[in-house]
Amino acid sequence: MSGLVLLLFLAVLVALDVPIAVALAILALAAFWAAQGFDALVTSAVTLFSASTNFPLLAIPLFILAGTIMNTAGITRRLVALAAALVGFVRGGLAMVNVAASLFFAEISGSAVADVAALGSVLMPAMQKRGYPKEFTAALTSSSASLAIIIPPSIPMILYAVMADASVVQLFVAGILPGLLGGGLMMGLCALYARRHGFPVEQAFDLCRLWAATREAGWTLLLPVIILGGIFTGTVTATEAAGLAVVAAVLVGALYRELSPRAILQGAREGVVQTAVVMLLIATSALLGEYLTEARIPQALTGAITGLTREPWAVLALLNLLFFVLGCFLHGAAAIILVVPIVMPIVRAVGIDPVHFGLVVTLNIAIGQQTPPVASVLMTACSIAKADIWAVTRWNLPFIGVLLLVLLLVTYVPAIPLALVELIYR
Amino acid sequence: MRLVRLTRRLLEAALVTTGVALLFAIAVLVAAGVVLRKLGAPIGWYDEIAGVLLAWLTWYGAALAALERAHLGMPDLVALAPPALRVPLVLVRAALVCGTMALVAWFGWQIVAILGDERLVTVPWLTVGVAQSAIPIAASLFVLAELLTLPDRLAEARAGAAAKDPERILLEAAR
Repeated sequence: MSGLVLLLFLAVLVALDVPIAVALAILALAAFWAAQGFDALVTSAVTLFSASTNFPLLAIPLFILAGTIMNTAGITRRLVALAAALVGFVRGGLAMVNVAASLFFAEISGSAVADVAALGSVLMPAMQKRGYPKEFTAALTSSSASLAIIIPPSIPMILYAVMADASVVQLFVAGILPGLLGGGLMMGLCALYARRHGFPVEQAFDLCRLWAATREAGWTLLLPVIILGGIFTGTVTATEAAGLAVVAAVLVGALYRELSPRAILQGAREGVVQTAVVMLLIATSALLGEYLTEARIPQALTGAITGLTREPWAVLALLNLLFFVLGCFLHGAAAIILVVPIVMPIVRAVGIDPVHFGLVVTLNIAIGQQTPPVASVLMTACSIAKADIWAVTRWNLPFIGVLLLVLLLVTYVPAIPLALVELIYR
Repeated sequence: MRLVRLTRRLLEAALVTTGVALLFAIAVLVAAGVVLRKLGAPIGWYDEIAGVLLAWLTWYGAALAALERAHLGMPDLVALAPPALRVPLVLVRAALVCGTMALVAWFGWQIVAILGDERLVTVPWLTVGVAQSAIPIAASLFVLAELLTLPDRLAEARAGAAAKDPERILLEAAR
């Protein structure tokens, strides 16, 4: 079966509401049956099992569980208070707090949906009480939450690293500067919005208040030190850091005496489902990947594209376009799992650094989380704010513009993601 | 319908308990693995067992996700189809999903039968059959979960997109 026929069948199955993971299994089984006969299908069970035992992917359920515990342990509230003490004194202070709290939260959570769910439920009602339009609060919370997947730790980066056989740690380091750049640009945009719409100033800057908020959030601030410090110093792997993050979140919650076993169990249940949804996709895509490799489809695609151009900038432009379009219609995890293994031969053939490309992919996923119809983070924000998706999208366009600008900079100025990687690891 | 609801509740409780227990077991194992390694007493089997636990979490969690209708897909296209087509489309979908997962369960049983007595590398007391049994068992439960959610899907198909709760559409899309 050619790649185009497979793509067509995939589209038909997905349109029928067959889960994408099952659709991939159907295609793989049908393709192997056609090529090698029914008996060859028995080994598919071995592939499905071994693809779901991938050790680095253990980080996914662990970061989800850590995020859940942090949400119930009073950590979110303390981070918001610290961000308010830091940047709440400027015009549109709560909007700035939203971005700053997202940056803090991003350092301990790997998921933008976790970020928007945690911060949105605290910040959006507070902003609306202070006169911010609810559509603006949803747009800002949603876009700033997408910074969570650019700033380490990041679940999409872990997925990319496994699919592209790239270094998770180097990807995490590469995300620091683009994440801070995105945060800075979003704060700048908030300042413009604040001036134009007359958003209020919160309380004046007070060093005593900042000190009190820092002390109050002291244990919370240890979490990024444990997680990122452990990973960057090579003391632990990303997976092990995720395990430690769970333990640290439990300990911090116990210190604050705010752990709710009921909420943790509910969060763990959601974590199980989220993990299984992504992992099943990985398992069945591995099955399809075996067929694609045997049929040499990625190599054929590489030949077709490199026949057109071998210029890295042109290949990056094409791949950006591909991921941008896919991001509008596919969940980020599905886009990474389906596309990265197919395009990696092209990326390597034209000499693009896999870590650099990882950041390009991650930023495209962040933008995809903001672009309907399939926009997981935007939808979660709209659901919390009870706001219309399209009305929120109108407010969100400038924030999407900021993410696009960061994507362009990261794509064509590789030093932005790679400077720290070169400095530390190469 | 009462039997369907009861079976659904029992299956949900069993899968949630299994999934949450596996998630906590993974967290404890990974954290203990790091701490013991730093203390100079590494556990030789920890990454192999953690991998097996992740596979179990994947497959039992996938059955739970099927019961919760949480798998990634495009649920609203069928709802937008002409009324006469919606029920047949839902039935075709159910046949495709159940048929595929039943096949996976069948292949899984065959692999368990073939490799069942072999032992894991670092944990010789655990057989490959036990480790890989998650695939046939969970794939069968996946089929059961799909069948248990079929009445709801058929009712929604008969009612059309307009009858769907907007909040639910939003949450499904968010997933």
